[in-house]
Amino acid sequence: MNFQVYNRDLNVGNIRVIGVSSSSLLMVGDAETIQLASAFDTPAESLIIGPFVPLSLDETS
Amino acid sequence: MLQRSSSVKKLHVTSASLSSIIQLGDSTVINGFSRAIAVQKEQQLFIGDSVDFSRYPIFRRPFVFPQENEQLTISTYHLNPIISVNTINVMGVSASSVLHIGNTQSVNMEARVKHIRELLPKRNR
Repeated sequence: MNFQVYNRDLNVGNIRVIGVSSSSLLMVGDAETIQLASAFDTPAESLIIGPFVPLSLDETS
Repeated sequence: MLQRSSSVKKLHVTSASLSSIIQLGDSTVINGFSRAIAVQKEQQLFIGDSVDFSRYPIFRRPFVFPQENEQLTISTYHLNPIISVNTINVMGVSASSVLHIGNTQSVNMEARVKHIRELLPKRNR
């Protein structure tokens, strides 16, 4: 496949960002390759409801 | 190959923390890696707490990326070689993130977060 790109005028006014977090990227410019990956494990899968007794230390969840 | 230039008139960053980078100018390789265990507790109880990444499979499981199979010929023509931005206002850059003004070749970033909520039994709430 032949892929042709013509970059003409690129003018941006104001960029307002609250947060760039967890290996994110805010970039003004060109890049050849960008590869981003993220993995989350959030409740309910990781919800622990008491009573809290450390029965085992090597449990994996 | 001729590159484009980035022109930012005003940049304001309130905070950059936890191995974050503000890069002004070109770079070649960017590698970012962040992992976190975020624990929320309903009660201040600390027993048997070991913050060990190896205990949780989410920090081990491999990412599967799509394979590049297609033969690709890219030709880029910069008719206006300036990217211009008036102002950038960022409140926070955190956890191995990058604010980059300028060109780069390859970017590779990874984040893994494990959330844990420890709640009291119903009768104690």
